[in-house]
Amino acid sequence: MRGMQPDGVSRRHFLASGGALVAGSTLPDWAEIVQVGPSTDAARTEAAEVALAEASKLGASYADIRVNRYRRESIATREQQVQNVSRSASAGMGLRVLVNGAWGFAASNRVEVATARTLAAEAVTMARAHAALATAKVVLTPTDVVKTSWTSAFRRDPFEVPLDTKLAFLLKLNATAMAVPGVSFVSSQLLFVDEHKYFASSDGSRIAQRLVRTYPQFTTTAADRARGDFQSRPVVDRAQLVGYEYVEDYPWFADAEKAGHEVVEKLKATSVTAGRYDLVVDPSQLFLCIHESVGHSTELDRALGYEANMAGTSFLRPADTGHLRFGASIVNLVADRSQPGGLATTGYDDEGVKADRWHLVRDGVFVDWQTTRELAPLVGQSRSHGCLHADSWASVPFPRMPNVSLQPAATEVTRDDLCSGIARGLLIEGRGVSSIDQQRYNFQFGGAVIREIRNGKVGAMVKDAAYQSRTPDFWASCDGLGGPASYRLWGTSADGKGEPGQINAVSHGCPPARFRNVTVLNTASAS
Amino acid sequence: MQIARVSPVHREYVPTLGPLTYQESNGFADATADIDVAARALALRDVLAACREAGVGGAGVHTATASAVAVATANGNRRYVRSSEGAFSVTARSTDGTGSGYSAGDHFDVRRVDVAAIGRRAVDKAVRSQAPRPIEPGTYPVVLEAQAVADLMGSLAGAFDARTADEGRSAFSGKDGKTRVGETLFDSRLTLYSDPAHLELPAVPATDEGIPAERITLIREGVLERLPYSRFWAAERTQAPTPGPVNFIMEVAKPTPMGALIAGMTRGLLVTRFWYVRLVDPRTIVLTGLTRDGLWWVEDGQVRHPVRNLRFNQSVLTMLAPWNVEAIGPSERRAPFMVPSLRLAGFTFTSRSDAI
Repeated sequence: MRGMQPDGVSRRHFLASGGALVAGSTLPDWAEIVQVGPSTDAARTEAAEVALAEASKLGASYADIRVNRYRRESIATREQQVQNVSRSASAGMGLRVLVNGAWGFAASNRVEVATARTLAAEAVTMARAHAALATAKVVLTPTDVVKTSWTSAFRRDPFEVPLDTKLAFLLKLNATAMAVPGVSFVSSQLLFVDEHKYFASSDGSRIAQRLVRTYPQFTTTAADRARGDFQSRPVVDRAQLVGYEYVEDYPWFADAEKAGHEVVEKLKATSVTAGRYDLVVDPSQLFLCIHESVGHSTELDRALGYEANMAGTSFLRPADTGHLRFGASIVNLVADRSQPGGLATTGYDDEGVKADRWHLVRDGVFVDWQTTRELAPLVGQSRSHGCLHADSWASVPFPRMPNVSLQPAATEVTRDDLCSGIARGLLIEGRGVSSIDQQRYNFQFGGAVIREIRNGKVGAMVKDAAYQSRTPDFWASCDGLGGPASYRLWGTSADGKGEPGQINAVSHGCPPARFRNVTVLNTASAS
Repeated sequence: MQIARVSPVHREYVPTLGPLTYQESNGFADATADIDVAARALALRDVLAACREAGVGGAGVHTATASAVAVATANGNRRYVRSSEGAFSVTARSTDGTGSGYSAGDHFDVRRVDVAAIGRRAVDKAVRSQAPRPIEPGTYPVVLEAQAVADLMGSLAGAFDARTADEGRSAFSGKDGKTRVGETLFDSRLTLYSDPAHLELPAVPATDEGIPAERITLIREGVLERLPYSRFWAAERTQAPTPGPVNFIMEVAKPTPMGALIAGMTRGLLVTRFWYVRLVDPRTIVLTGLTRDGLWWVEDGQVRHPVRNLRFNQSVLTMLAPWNVEAIGPSERRAPFMVPSLRLAGFTFTSRSDAI
C-alpha cells in the first residue's frame, strides 16, 4: 500500500493550516480517501458487485456503477501574495439502472455493501417513476466487454511535488510579468486533478482508470489610473492531460514576460475600426471557436432536444448527416478521445466504450455525431463513439464533448504564410469574450491580443475588436490552414452543460487558419 | 502549517472572526427539504400533458435542494444556517422547430413554485412564437421581462466591489484614482439593496467572510451609494467591512403592470430571456448575448408578431441610465436576484441569429 498523504503533512496539520476545503458531501478523512491499495480496491469491487446484483434482482435490465476517487489541489496567487491553497478529496459511487426502458440513478459517498443495496433500491424506484412518464424506451447499442486498466501518460505526479516548489513557480511567474514596466497586476493559478475511476457494468466490463491533469494559468492587467482605463491579457487555456513535467518543461516565464509586454501595448492600442476583415485566427483563439461552433453543434443529445431548456439545441439535424455543407472543402474536423494530452482523452468512457477517433466534418461536409450507447441507435448506428461522462461519482453520466480538432494542411504552411495573402486583416490570438446562440449559429468572439495585418505584414495592436459570424458561413470562408508544425492543442477546463450543471475538460487542436471577409465589431462603440 | 511556512508574509491576512450575533435566517422550508419524489413526478406529468395537448415538446428541470452550513473559528465565531431552494424551468418547442417558449420560477419554499403556471406560460410562448419574421438589427425600444433583466444582472452585481474600483479596474472606477460613489449613474426610480431578511428572497445572514449581513443599499434613487469592502480592504482603507451583499433586490413601490409596459410602447421589442451573456468590456459593463425563447414585435402598444432572435451588445450602465428607463414593472424572484421588468428607450442589437 502506498501512502499518499500530501507532502508528508499530517492531516491534522493540514486542516489546521486553513487551506483545506473539504466539501460537505465528501468523506472527511483525506488520508483515507487518497489511499490507493488492495483494501480499498477490494471494498470498491465488492460494493460494485453487490450493487449490480441487487439492481438485477430488483428488475433492472442493465446497470452500471462508477466508484470514483478525486483529488484536487488549487493554488492561487497575485503579485507576491499567496491568495489561496486548497486541497479537496471526494470519493463515492454512483449507480445507474435501466428498468422498463427508463433510467434511475442513486449515489453515495459510502463505498460499502449495505449502501450498495440501498442505492440499488433507490435507483430502481426512480427508474420505475420515470418509466411511468416516458413515451419511448431507452435501447443501448452493444459494446465490447472488457476487463482492463488504463492510466493517462505523465512523468511526474503533481501530487508528489512539494507545495513550496509550486508556490515558488507561481511567484517567479508573477515577478517575471510584473518586471515589465506598466504591468499593474498579475494573478496566477495552478490546479491539479487526479481521478481514480472504477467502472463495472452488468454486461461484464470491469475497468480501472487513473487520469492526471495539470492546469497552469495567469492573467496580466495594466491600469491607467489617471485616465481610468485598464486592459487584461489572460493566458488561461493551456491545461492538458499531463503531469507536473508540463510546469517544468514549458517556457512559462517567457510567456509571462510576453504577456506583460502585450497588456501594456494593449492599454495604448488604438480602437479597431469596425468593418469587414480577412482574419488569421491563431490556435490560441481558434480552439475556442471550434469548441463553440463545432464541438457543441455536433452533440446529438442537443440536436434531439434533450438540452433544449439550458444549453440549447443545434442547427444540425439528424437528416443533415452525410450531406450538409459545414464549411470549405479544406475543413476536416475530427473527434478523438485518444489524442495524447487531450483533456477529454481517456481509455474508456463512463459506460465502458473504448476511446474512439472519427470525423465529424470530412472535406467540408457534416458526416457524424458525438454519440453514446443510448444515442447511437437514434441515428441508426450500431456502435457508440464513447462520449458518456460524469464529472463526479455523484453525477448522472450524460453525453459530453470529446476532443474535437481541425486537421492541418498536408504541407508546411506557417502563420506568416497565411498573413502574406491578406491586404487588410486582423491576426487574432488568445481568449477574449465568447458568446454563441443556443443552436450554435451566431457567434461573437473577441481575442486577448489582436493585431492589424496590412499588405501581408503583421503590425500594431488594436483593441475593442470582436469577430462575429454564422457557423456555416464562417467555416465556408476558410481558405487557408497552417501545416503540421503549426498545430497546437489548447483546452478548456470547465465546459458547462446539463441541469444540474456539470463541468467537462476538453481540448481542441488546430493550426492557425485564414477566414475571408468576416464582420468585425468595435465593442466599445457598439452600445 | 506547511503552507504558512513556505509562503511569503501574507500581506492580506486578517484574523479569524470572534463571537458575533447573526439574524435568524428564514430561508429554509421543510416542504422543500422533504420533497416527495412521487408528487414531483405527478406535477411534471401535468406539464408534459399540457405540452402534448398543445402539440409542442417540453424539456425542463425541477430542483429542490436543502443545505446546512456550520462554521467555527479558533477565535470563537460560531454560526449555523440552513437554507433551501426549489426551482422549475421549462422550454417548450414546436415539433417543427419554428417556435420556442421559456418560463421559470423559484422559491425557498417549493410549494410556492407554481409548476403548472410556469408550464402554461412556456407552452403559450412556444405556440405564439412560431414562424418568426426577420428583423434588422439596430437600437430599439424594448420591454424586458424580469427574467431578461435577471439574465443581465450578474456582471452589474460583480462590479460592486470597493477594491477593484480603488485599483482602477472596475466600471465604478473614476478618473485620477477616485471611484464613482456619489454619482447619479442610474434612473432616479432605481434602488438596489441587499437584505438577508427579505420575505421572498431571504439569504444566508452572513457574508462569505462571516460578517453578519444587514440591509445595505448599493444604489439609492439612481445614485451609486456604496461599494462593498472586504475585511482586508476595509482595514486598508480604514472602513468597516460591509455587511453584504447577500442578495440583490430592485423593486419599486408602485410598479407599472406588465400589460401597461407593453401598451406604452409605440414600436419595439418584447424580450423573454437572454442567453450566453458575457462581459465584453468591464469598463462600461458592455455585455453581449442573444435573445431566446420568445421575442415579439410590438406596435401601438400591441404584441403584433414573433420575430427572429437577435444578438445584442449593450452597456448595462447605459441601459439603466436616467435617460433610458421609461417604466418599471413588477419584480420577480430569480435567486440571488429580485428584479423588475423594464421598458427602455433603447437597447442595441448588433446582428441576426437564425437560432430558434
